[in-house]
Amino acid sequence: MVILKTEALKKYYGKEPNVVKALDGVDLEVQEGEFVAVVGTSGSGKSTLLHMLGGLDKPTDGKVIVGGKDISGMTDEQLTIFRRRNVGFVFQSYNLVPILNVYENIVLPIELDGNTVDQDYVENIIETLGLSEKKNHLPNNLSGGQQQRVAIARALATKPSILLADEPTGNLDTKSSQDVLGVLKMTSTKFHQTIVMITHNEQIAQLADRIIRIEDGKIVTMEGWI
Amino acid sequence: MDPIIAIIISVSLCLITVFFCYRYVKKTFDDVDYVLDSILAKKTDISLKTMEDSRLSKLGHKALRIAEMNIMDVSQIKHEKEIIQSFISDMSHQMKTPLSSVTMYTDLVLEGRITEDERQEFLYRIKKGTEKLQWMMDSLVKMSRLEVGAIELNPVPAGIKQTISESVSDVYAASVKKNISIETTYFDDIMLLHDRKWTREAIANVLENAIKYSSIGGEVNISIEKLPIYTKINITDHGIGIFSDEWNSVFKRFYRGRNAKGIDGAGLGLYLASLILEKQGGYILVDSRPGQYTTFSMFLQNCKK
Repeated sequence: MVILKTEALKKYYGKEPNVVKALDGVDLEVQEGEFVAVVGTSGSGKSTLLHMLGGLDKPTDGKVIVGGKDISGMTDEQLTIFRRRNVGFVFQSYNLVPILNVYENIVLPIELDGNTVDQDYVENIIETLGLSEKKNHLPNNLSGGQQQRVAIARALATKPSILLADEPTGNLDTKSSQDVLGVLKMTSTKFHQTIVMITHNEQIAQLADRIIRIEDGKIVTMEGWI
Repeated sequence: MDPIIAIIISVSLCLITVFFCYRYVKKTFDDVDYVLDSILAKKTDISLKTMEDSRLSKLGHKALRIAEMNIMDVSQIKHEKEIIQSFISDMSHQMKTPLSSVTMYTDLVLEGRITEDERQEFLYRIKKGTEKLQWMMDSLVKMSRLEVGAIELNPVPAGIKQTISESVSDVYAASVKKNISIETTYFDDIMLLHDRKWTREAIANVLENAIKYSSIGGEVNISIEKLPIYTKINITDHGIGIFSDEWNSVFKRFYRGRNAKGIDGAGLGLYLASLILEKQGGYILVDSRPGQYTTFSMFLQNCKK
């Protein structure tokens, strides 16, 4: 099933004659459970694409359809609720709340939506991401790789339809990167989680089921099978 | 008079309250009924206001997820069917070549109008063809069992040293044939979560690959590196290499590298290796510079303390 889809997606910045076409007609489909990497150089439009997919920004033209619902016409308030319930984000910076411990950080988005925490599921995530011993630690006492794993756990805890990751290993050394990457891969297989990951790094992208290459706001190739 | 008016007022107030309560309950029930009907009708465009911060909206949102899950299950099955179909067509395509050469050479030998040298040569080719078919059959059986989950891998804490040395002994004959030395950088044995039987197979596949694409007299290196969650096993060769835009594809079923066309292979070994690692919560990466080196890194989970 197609969980995520864009139709002729465009995002222009500025006014004539100085229009910057960050995205210039992107058609994309992501299957449920798929792990997709979007690869491009800086300025190719890949981060803009991610912002559109996650409802962080509104397109100039075209559609973004998540789980059969067009989000391009939603109001800011509707988008906030949409994001909270449907999208998990992992950014280059970890954005953890420094005064909350690891466990509290992970369940924060669940409690924000007024839901009860699925204890077994959250414990399973914490275990899978190798954070069992760090549950009561504050983020500042963790290494970069560990903090990023907490951020991934937090993104997964709400059981989002899609997980969007923007250069998730951008701030990490090679060793921590490979750990975080392994955890993402495990997440996609174990929890059947749909993941869209933005990166400029071929080493990192190779782990995905499919690679989409983007240049000057347009998709140039879609590789991979099925 | 007064008490009568008071009674009338209070009775009518009660009636009005009951009326509004009834309306509210009826509306809620109608909405829930509507959502359930939509699920039964397999519709996901439930027009409830699912984007509001209200209890009904949350209910609607959850109903929507249930409907989606239903549809997903169905499309998942369809998707699996497609995979099986494409798999069968790929497989028959791969088997055609060795099978037709076996048929052809057998016919030539049976006709008998050939010299003894030719006869020897043809029989040798028939043997090669059947060997390839045999190997493919074995791989396919393993693959299909792993894919459908007929075989459950059982990752338990075990020393990786023994697993690696078993894999090396599996490919020893092939390395001797090409005069390739397999060097292992010394490491202290580490307990890793893995299924020894299958991991041995995965490592052997990667080693076999390294030997196949190395030139005669080359060297293959094995080294171990420990990360916080995983431990990686690096296998480096100095063979033909893989271009960076193919790094993702080499682990796909039946994929052959652009510069590997001249070398015999079915595109199954690396796929099988990555499948085995994935089934135990590990993964595999490649790094290469064509003409210089290729390193496959296999990641297995460290034991949890």
